[in-house]
Amino acid sequence: MAKPKLASDWMAGCAGCHMSLLDIDERILQIAELVDIRATPITDLKEPDESGVDVGILEGGINNTANEEVAHKMRKRCKLLVALGDCAVFGGVPAMRNFFKMEEVLRRAYIETESTDEEGKIPDDPELARMTRVRAVHEVVPVDVFVPGCPPDPDVIFYVLSELAQGRIPELKDEKLQWH
Amino acid sequence: MVTLTIDGRTVEVPEGTTVLRAAEKAGIKIPTLCDHPHLQPFGGCRVCVVEVEGLRTLQPSCTLPVSQNMVVHTNTPKVLAARKFVLTLIFSDRNHFCPYCQVSGGDCELQNTALEMGMTHWDYQPAWKPYPVDASHPNLVIDHNRCILCRRCVRACGELVGNYTLGIEERGANSMLIADTGVPFGESTCISCGTCSQVCPTGAIIDRRSAYQGLEKKTESTHTVCVQCSVGCGVEVLTRDNRLVRILGDWDATVNGGVICKMGRFDPLDDTRERVKTPLVRKDGKLQPASWDEALEVIAREIKAHQGKDIAGLVSPRLPAEALAAFHSLFKEGLQAEMVASMDGSGLASLLAAETGIHEDTLDVLHRADCVVTVGLDLYSDHQVLGFFIKRRLNTSTALVVVDSHENRFAEYARVALKPTVGKESVALQALVAAIREGHNGASGNLSELAGKAGVAETDIAKVADMIRKSGTTVFVYGQGLDENAAKALLEVIQQVGDNAKLVSAKGAANSLLAGQLGLSKPFNPKGHQAVLIALGDDEPSNTLIQQLEGVEFLAVAASHVSRLTAMANVVLPVEMWAEQEGTYINLEGRVQKAKAALQPTEWVRSSTDALMELGKLLKVPVNTDWQTAFTSKPSPVTLIGEPA
Repeated sequence: MAKPKLASDWMAGCAGCHMSLLDIDERILQIAELVDIRATPITDLKEPDESGVDVGILEGGINNTANEEVAHKMRKRCKLLVALGDCAVFGGVPAMRNFFKMEEVLRRAYIETESTDEEGKIPDDPELARMTRVRAVHEVVPVDVFVPGCPPDPDVIFYVLSELAQGRIPELKDEKLQWH
Repeated sequence: MVTLTIDGRTVEVPEGTTVLRAAEKAGIKIPTLCDHPHLQPFGGCRVCVVEVEGLRTLQPSCTLPVSQNMVVHTNTPKVLAARKFVLTLIFSDRNHFCPYCQVSGGDCELQNTALEMGMTHWDYQPAWKPYPVDASHPNLVIDHNRCILCRRCVRACGELVGNYTLGIEERGANSMLIADTGVPFGESTCISCGTCSQVCPTGAIIDRRSAYQGLEKKTESTHTVCVQCSVGCGVEVLTRDNRLVRILGDWDATVNGGVICKMGRFDPLDDTRERVKTPLVRKDGKLQPASWDEALEVIAREIKAHQGKDIAGLVSPRLPAEALAAFHSLFKEGLQAEMVASMDGSGLASLLAAETGIHEDTLDVLHRADCVVTVGLDLYSDHQVLGFFIKRRLNTSTALVVVDSHENRFAEYARVALKPTVGKESVALQALVAAIREGHNGASGNLSELAGKAGVAETDIAKVADMIRKSGTTVFVYGQGLDENAAKALLEVIQQVGDNAKLVSAKGAANSLLAGQLGLSKPFNPKGHQAVLIALGDDEPSNTLIQQLEGVEFLAVAASHVSRLTAMANVVLPVEMWAEQEGTYINLEGRVQKAKAALQPTEWVRSSTDALMELGKLLKVPVNTDWQTAFTSKPSPVTLIGEPA
């Protein structure tokens, strides 16, 4: 039997969940033995195979049209979608901006920030992705497995990956279930 | 008794018990949020719903009383689904994004409940409506974004503290926690006791000083006694890396049952005074670091050079009983010093009561009082927890009378406030005796004369007398502000009222009762004494004391903090402060409690008791810490309770 294929991508997050994934250290070799790790943001292949993967992992919330595209593409190409980390599960820290008006947020980021020079300008190139409210992944596409945590503990990630690699749906509870 | 079945277990509980408490008794945990064991059931959050056979809908177990043969199920799929749904709604109501919350990671009851329920996510995102953060209060911050409207704070403020500052305005989704009529929290009638922050299940009410200093579960906890006054409240001191993080009221403490005041909760954390780090000896006009041996030898030499009549000793009644006893045996018995006193008031009324055989009562009389009369003390600012006990009963039929010749903020809560002319408190109390007697025997004539002399309205006196006559139990609470005549007059009132009269005296500092029993409660006057030793502990010297000590030939101070007093001393000994010391405290009702050390002092700091014992050794004077013998050597106004073995 062919190894199950796995792909991941990140959106409105901080890459911390992928760092936590790498924190499983040498155990990644065990995972690699069981699954075929395809596209990830930290490998050469950036997009999940058009032919599809078994497990898709998304880190980060969805805060613009580009992220929407990433989420839809992953959903379309994977059988089982995992929302990894508090941003993907709830919206997380980026969702703080939802409590402000979009103009306020942009003005703060591109004009008022202490490190911005006097000619600060809000980017308005039509080719740029359009900002949206920050959403949890499951608000945009259906999610099969939720793995909260900021970031999820490497042991939790290893558990989730090893369960998925062996064709089981991981059940998070007790010490494995943590939000931050 | 009522018998019912919960999850197949039979449990027998008294009638009126809620299903939630019955389940607890059966060892079945039902998750809750708005419920708090020390508050009245409210039934607001619906997390505790259960299925009851024969009832059409799910029932909140926290408000549902048990009934005979009731069959309850606490974890059916229907119940679990409802609970998850309720939590989902709570999470999606305001800002419950955990990563940027001070209580996330173990201190949040909302988060903990969701995790226990195995919730990996919630289904709805909030309306993203920003709510205000009220940071106008010096000690507390209300973050409305984190509020789940459980009303624990509202109930604690009313039911436990009797302050009724917090409330809820509007209904449904528009409900908001408010202070008074919606004023900024810092400008409200809040008295900063902080009980609201102690009961808040989320991060909605946090205290400024300790927020973001680490989770409660990552701190060390020490159950000890508050030494800020003679009430002797039980407190839980949270520390981390030998630093004070937070002080909580101890829910299990007999005296206070969880509530404490600002003085107990916040003031010790705001203490920014500099510590005395090493013994100091004045050389060439300057205080210079010295060893303990050297410092003690200088003190011993100076004391030996003087007769008992030239020596004066002053001790803080905030020190543990052992230190007070050591001080007493060293100065009074050993050195036969003439002027030996403690830093509090006269303790007069208390002693008079003991001498006249009138016994003082325990604090629980306040919990069943029909009428409370406070005389010569302001429970708004001092001994505040006694004030909480009284205020929380004022919405029942309990009546409060405040007698004070000075401005008294507690009078705001009184049904009748008597404000006699200064110095005429005794006359006002005599008028009260006359009025009570008059009620029994008809007009005696001198009531109006006495009322006139005291500067109080005769009708007010009559009203108070009437209230006392009609009350089952009247508790008289008096402070140290009484002069001898007023104290005597108060005892007359109590004798006149008879068996219905109960007596509580707020004795001042943490160990003032013992200081009184040791004969130390008298005015301090160092004039004419050449060698003075002050066991100050962590007390703050008064201006009067500083003035009195000007020109004293030799002054030694055992103190934990640098002050104007240590600056004028010839020798300073570094001693432990409250959180570092172990020892016994006897509160105003005679309850014997042990203080435990929550912090480790630095190397050079010793306990006040040890310092006095060492000094005794050098002076070849036997010093003992046996406070029990001293306590019982003369009639006491109270009986000792719960003396630890």
